[in-house]
Amino acid sequence: MNASIIQTHPLIQIRRNRTLPVSGTVLVRVGQKVTTNEVIAETEMPSQFHYVDVMRSFGLTTPGQAEKLINRKVGDQVDKNDILAETGGMFSRIVRSPRAGTILSIRNGQMLVETAKIKLTVNAGFNGKVVEIIKDHGAVIETNGVLIQGMWGNGKTGFGPLQINEHQLDSELETSSLGIQNRGLVICAAFCSTAQLIESAASLPVGGLILGSINPDLIQVAQNQSFPILVMEGYGKTTINDYAKRLLITNAGREIAVNAVKWNRWTGERPELIISLPAEGDAYRQIVELKLGQLARVHTSPFVGQLAYVNKLNDGMTSLPNRIKANAVGLKFLNNENAAIPLNNFELIDLDNRYIGRSE
Amino acid sequence: MTQPFNDTSSVLGIEIGTQNTRAVMFDVVDGSYHFLASGVAPSTQKAPFFDIGEGILAAITQLQLIIGRTLMDHDGNLIMPSQPNGEGVDRLFVTVSGGPEVKIVTFGLLNEVSLESAIRLAQTSYAVVKDSFGINDRRSAQLQMESLLAARPDIIIFGGGTNQGASRSMVRVAQMIALVLTTLPKNNRPEVLYCGNRVVAKTIIEILEKHARVTLTENIRPTLEVEDLGKSSEELARMVLRVWTKRMDGINRITPLCTEAPSISSLNYQRMMRFLGKLYDPAKAVLGIDLGSSYCTFSSSNANQCNINIIPLGMGDGFEEALTRIKIEAIAKWLAESLPQNEFKEILWQKTLTPGSIPVDDKGLAIDLAAARAILEYGLNEMKRQSLLASSIFEPIFISGSTITHAPTPQQILLTLLDGIQPIGITPLIIDKHGLLPILGAISRAHSLLPVQVMETSAFTNLATVINVESKASDGTPIVNARLTYHSGNYMDIEVKQGAIATLPLPSGEVGTLSLNLMRRTVIEGLINPNEPFKVHGGVCGVVIDARGRPLTFPKDVTTRRERYKRWMFMLGA
Repeated sequence: MNASIIQTHPLIQIRRNRTLPVSGTVLVRVGQKVTTNEVIAETEMPSQFHYVDVMRSFGLTTPGQAEKLINRKVGDQVDKNDILAETGGMFSRIVRSPRAGTILSIRNGQMLVETAKIKLTVNAGFNGKVVEIIKDHGAVIETNGVLIQGMWGNGKTGFGPLQINEHQLDSELETSSLGIQNRGLVICAAFCSTAQLIESAASLPVGGLILGSINPDLIQVAQNQSFPILVMEGYGKTTINDYAKRLLITNAGREIAVNAVKWNRWTGERPELIISLPAEGDAYRQIVELKLGQLARVHTSPFVGQLAYVNKLNDGMTSLPNRIKANAVGLKFLNNENAAIPLNNFELIDLDNRYIGRSE
Repeated sequence: MTQPFNDTSSVLGIEIGTQNTRAVMFDVVDGSYHFLASGVAPSTQKAPFFDIGEGILAAITQLQLIIGRTLMDHDGNLIMPSQPNGEGVDRLFVTVSGGPEVKIVTFGLLNEVSLESAIRLAQTSYAVVKDSFGINDRRSAQLQMESLLAARPDIIIFGGGTNQGASRSMVRVAQMIALVLTTLPKNNRPEVLYCGNRVVAKTIIEILEKHARVTLTENIRPTLEVEDLGKSSEELARMVLRVWTKRMDGINRITPLCTEAPSISSLNYQRMMRFLGKLYDPAKAVLGIDLGSSYCTFSSSNANQCNINIIPLGMGDGFEEALTRIKIEAIAKWLAESLPQNEFKEILWQKTLTPGSIPVDDKGLAIDLAAARAILEYGLNEMKRQSLLASSIFEPIFISGSTITHAPTPQQILLTLLDGIQPIGITPLIIDKHGLLPILGAISRAHSLLPVQVMETSAFTNLATVINVESKASDGTPIVNARLTYHSGNYMDIEVKQGAIATLPLPSGEVGTLSLNLMRRTVIEGLINPNEPFKVHGGVCGVVIDARGRPLTFPKDVTTRRERYKRWMFMLGA
């Protein structure tokens, strides 16, 4: 029986693909050391266009006639009011470019002028080393260090020194944690249930926000922010699980990279925190065989965020308290409560018996 | 359907869903095909496996344990054909319903005509419509192009123009699409499905095929009055499968083993629904509902028509979209127990983060079944809004999807279905617990006999025959007296009051005779002569008389509503 892992590790070897969604220029080479914010690949994408239908503008009947009147070619730079096509003759009719740009395409008597571009870049995401180049798209970055994965992210990335206030780790995010002295820091709190606090964090701005959980009403507000918000357990008022909390406390003050992407199960990309350390890490594992004594973190109601030890491996289907039959194991929670929990409802969090008990 | 092949006895069907992969075994027993068993394992096309193979292997391994037969050799290869000692299988069929999101952009001319048909076409497969463009679009050409690029579609559906209708506008739209396609990298361009005016098809294809793969199919709006999605829906399904095959490892590897190339479940499901629709009363319709993890499939068919509508709402990966489209109150109204609204909302949203999770307590189960009711209600309303129901009376309803079919008691399944669907008239409810319909549809392409024979066996569970009685009488007034006469000659009488729901036991496989005495102003939709006794088939929940009225109404007071709901559950023994 196998179980998946939520990476919550004090020292592990981390490799991540950092790629552009389309092809572009890779700016790094194998062996190069990179920093969190360093751009490793970039490209430009057209973002605004001007569409010119020369055939219609001149009232022509075939695209061929129109194309003869176009006196530009693909790739030409044009300024505002530059002539794109003209009929010629004594009283020539003219089509001008309404804005400056580049001729992107000429087809069937129509022209597409690119009038604005956006630059797409991909950052290293954490301090590490380039171990492989992904041609025209990016690179594989490697580091060793702390890796803590979460459940939800607002789609932003960032970094900063990790600010730990132990009181705040067990309580709702407070205004006092968002003073000017915390500008640029990555702040941790148990949960957040008011939009004003997120907006206060944005006004500093903070380097990032790590929360145990968040009020589902704040999803949109969180997504609108430019700084990363990473949620460790989910929605509600659940605090950060005790094992992850310990790792965060231990690493207070270190620079932490916050990759608050939305969990994509098709690519495997998941919200995560990385603290690079100058030491050799353990090998990365994603799926392991379930064994008695392993520490698990449950992610579904009514046990969201709770840690428990695997204490019974069941053959076949288990009947749950509500009489649903599922592949499940017996878990013993830290309050000594026992429960049968389906395999889909938890992830293993500590495979090496590092966890030494509750931090309270 | 095609002719059967005669060298086959054992057939293995595999259905790859978003959450689960199912291996289903059929074999000849006493001269006809029977469903033997199914094995289920988590699907593995997502992280961290990125390959369908592990899931298939685990599902077959489980199947082997259940049937006590070896299907794979020591190296994990399927033994084909079957051996004299019973090992292995003769045929393999694979159908897929779970893949990464496929983004579609639709183009048409008139919003209410071809564009609406193009959108409806997109909803016949597992895809999400990201944007739509018609000639009445108020956005400027520039903005339309920017929107098209921002949508980054995998497929463009291009319809519009009746066969003798607009052609210049179609060419202009094609030129605009071509222009945008040229700005995209060649290996990143969407495929185009052209399903518009046939007269200009050649010109359109000439314009577009230089820039992208174009598939030509029948006009989805050959005339203003007629919508024909049949052929185009099949083409679209193939295109969706092509997108998935590019992004999901393992499909190409398993293809050489398959009797027919792997196919898409929506197409196979509809194939079976079309077949079933022809078997039943043409004045009514067969309704099929598959409540999956990412999508919910609704199909309605009879001898005259067969429609399918796939909405990107589900109980797992599609749950976030469900919460976006369905108000929390529409789910909460189905709860019998009080739950603070904040807690309820948090539990629902937490489910969006854990798509495969299973409720462990009664509260979680009640919330799951409430959400399932709300999705069924939403989907049926969509079917009605788009006039996709072949009839308002369903006979029978086939239901699949583990949230419902794996509920602990048949009464919980029954009440969930009656609440979510609110059928009228007389409706048999049939549970497809093993998700057989898409697999049978896949098999039917090469082997017409097997699905027909399996449908006649007990592979499907008859849940109940439901008699939906409607009356204007006030709550608590007796509105129907019913007598169920058993084959033995024994009988059972029952009086049903307005607002109640009652059951008469009649086991699966048995047939009884039901006599009804309806009070004044009481009707059963579609029953021409209600005083005439009629035959009813049994089911796990027997014969059910639902006199709660249509649509179900709820008291405004929350406590009274919950009390009423508890009473319904009590009456059914749920």
